[in-house]
Amino acid sequence: MAAKRTMTLNLTEAEMAALEQLSTEKDMSKTAVLRQALRLYQVITARLQDGEKLFFEDEIAKAKKELVVL
Amino acid sequence: MTLEVALEDRHAGHIVPATLVERIDVTYARRTDDLWLTFLAAEVARARAAATSLSLPEHAHWRWERKVAAAGHLLPYPTLAIEFESEAQGLMMLKTDGEFARLPGETGKPLVYVVFLATAPWNLPAVVARPRFRGVGTVLLRAAVETSLDLGFKGRLGLHSLSQSEPFYAGLGMTALGNDPKKENLNYCEMTPAQAVAFVR
Repeated sequence: MAAKRTMTLNLTEAEMAALEQLSTEKDMSKTAVLRQALRLYQVITARLQDGEKLFFEDEIAKAKKELVVL
Repeated sequence: MTLEVALEDRHAGHIVPATLVERIDVTYARRTDDLWLTFLAAEVARARAAATSLSLPEHAHWRWERKVAAAGHLLPYPTLAIEFESEAQGLMMLKTDGEFARLPGETGKPLVYVVFLATAPWNLPAVVARPRFRGVGTVLLRAAVETSLDLGFKGRLGLHSLSQSEPFYAGLGMTALGNDPKKENLNYCEMTPAQAVAFVR
């Protein structure tokens, strides 16, 4: 697998709690959750830059909400 | 990033060191398309001249240049190659986000999805009487499992198998879940963490 570089990450209590919760729910290490988040963020950013939009759709309420990403 | 892997060279009669390339680019994919298509065209012509039939691989129409261009530089879509003497012996594209296990006991857990996997035509018994390398698909699947382990997915894999490849995936210990009407009715197969451990051992 590709060589890796190490970095130190400073998180608030709330951020760490959220990360730990996701780690438990997804059955993944905290590092794996963050790496996956980076992949997702990169894909979303690339698609938004291509002019696409990101929506959450509620099929029952027939409602769509656009998700704005930094 | 490249790693050394072993392939069986059936012409030479021994194991040779090949290279696993962890992310190829569009130029590499185009060169591979040219090589593979040229080889296939020559085999088709040879079969016609000899008045024999040739069973083309189901993936003969794939154009890796387009696939790699579409995946671009995005982290979740690595395309790997196994290379020997500067020629791709096999290619595989993975998807590492948004895919989840369907097997009971694993349902909903993230997995690495094998989007495309193909072996060079000169390694396929259906195309040539004396295939060159054995083990290309196995080495690529092992790399997919390693990717799954590396990402924290515990070795879980999923893929839709072309019918010609179903015995291959079954032989690697994957579980077939049946034909998937949402994916051209191809047979969907999964590898559990336990199967992955047994496979890479």
